Amino acid sequence: MFESKEALLKRLSDGVVDMEEEDVIEASKEYIEAGYEAFDGIMQGLVDGMNKASVLYDEEEYFVTDVLLCSDAMYEGLNILRPHLPAEEADKAKVKGVIGVVEGDTHDIGKNLVKIMLETAGFEMIDLGRDVPLDSFVSKAKEVGADFVCLSTLMTTTMGGMKTVVDRLKEEGLRDKIKVLIGGGPISQKYCDTIGADGYSSNAVEAVKLAKKLLVTA
Amino acid sequence: MLTPKERLEKVLNHQEVDRPPCICPGGMMNMVTEELMKLCEISFPDAHKNPQQMADLSEAVYKEGCFENYGVPFCMTVEAEEFGADIDMGSNIYEPHVINYNISSVAEWEKLEAIDFSKGRSSTVIDAIKILKAKNTEVPIIGNITGPISTASSIMEPVVFYKELRKNNEKAHEYMTFITKQITEFAIKQIEAGADIIAISDPSGTGEILGPKLFDEFAVKYINQIIAEVKRLGKSSIVHICGQMKNVYKEVNKIESDVLSFDSIVSISEAKKNLGNRLIMGNVSTYTIEFGEMQKIADMTKKCVLDGSDIISPACGLGMKSSLRNVRSMLSALTEGDAKNNA
Repeated sequence: MFESKEALLKRLSDGVVDMEEEDVIEASKEYIEAGYEAFDGIMQGLVDGMNKASVLYDEEEYFVTDVLLCSDAMYEGLNILRPHLPAEEADKAKVKGVIGVVEGDTHDIGKNLVKIMLETAGFEMIDLGRDVPLDSFVSKAKEVGADFVCLSTLMTTTMGGMKTVVDRLKEEGLRDKIKVLIGGGPISQKYCDTIGADGYSSNAVEAVKLAKKLLVTA
Repeated sequence: MLTPKERLEKVLNHQEVDRPPCICPGGMMNMVTEELMKLCEISFPDAHKNPQQMADLSEAVYKEGCFENYGVPFCMTVEAEEFGADIDMGSNIYEPHVINYNISSVAEWEKLEAIDFSKGRSSTVIDAIKILKAKNTEVPIIGNITGPISTASSIMEPVVFYKELRKNNEKAHEYMTFITKQITEFAIKQIEAGADIIAISDPSGTGEILGPKLFDEFAVKYINQIIAEVKRLGKSSIVHICGQMKNVYKEVNKIESDVLSFDSIVSISEAKKNLGNRLIMGNVSTYTIEFGEMQKIADMTKKCVLDGSDIISPACGLGMKSSLRNVRSMLSALTEGDAKNNA
């Protein structure tokens, strides 16, 4: 006898919010065995939980460490549910972004958080990691046909690299096709305007809103 | 007229001074710029590895009218390197940074070896302090160490580290205890070499990442263990923490350092309001120092004084491309401007 779909969706969502990896794994397996739709399990279970976690983060009830643990639980669930997505869902083209911390800087907690939240919101993210050579942003974006590039840095010493990326995209004639989103401690809207990037956000939740505004035409 | 050392000591003893001192400790709070290096013909990354060059560059910071202190080293990778992480020594514009970690979980901490202070870059720093001390000047010498959380998260992947604070709590404490003991030893060696003050920067130990509970359990606890030793040796300490404080003021106030320093996101008046009679250092925006006008920097310096900053300093490490003219405008705003009348 299987649990109802609603009960399992709630377990998936609660498991993510409560950072209970094992519960999420168990509920995901039961959900698939019961034959419910993987797509709903992801959207109404795992992603729902992650969205609740990001609301708690926005309200400063949760902090970065909490969100990282929530996302671990979510990704464990995704690993189980994703292979069961029908082909048309799995292959559906997503808006694609390249993300990384600019050359000279290795602080990547903020970048990781933004990546998690953007993935949760349905974007496909290609993560270049930290201390990324500036040319790699451009070449990777070209290679994968990215719709946007996210640049992060926590240091004043390395923020100049963001301008270089914007300029190189211009040189390559890609600037009109690829949006540039920037963020990090020393970055501001003013700096964003100065270097000609498309948008700045002060935190991961705002980054999702910004990406949706710039990239998802309603 | 007070000497730089006397002025800073008076502030640390909560005594009246003519005007706040203007310092930049070093370590994470880098105070060296490209222009300064050109001027004294010393360059990075050499100065990170050679005690004489490190000392000379540090002395130039004072001589060129930038800040009223000596401070070494100029990065926050010395401890991580001693614990076996691979470091890219950077360039004239990039700071040294970790490129490969040494362990993959807090549970592996027993693989780490105690630091041998007779070699490696820890000895470079100790020797540089000895050289500065031998000059016997009236300039305070600040020795820098990287805080426990920042060191611990430089030897292994930070995301794993942060998660294991919860998931593997007991081992995380064992790891932190080991790290803290070692960097405390480094602080003691720096004091023995002649450091007047120890500055501890723990940018990765921020309340924004950890939240109040973990900040208290891991940042405050271990930072205080270092401070206790510094105090026992009769020296003062400065603690610099990054990020918003509003969720962790109560916990920050438990940090027993003589001085607390914050980055530019925290307003001095807000910090003063929340931290009672604590000495606050800060916090002229390093963005403005690098990209702004001299007048703007002078105005910001004066605002810090008016808001009650006890020690004027940049809010973070200086951008390497900041001009000397701009860097000097902080100190000159204090010595020539009207800010001193309001102090």
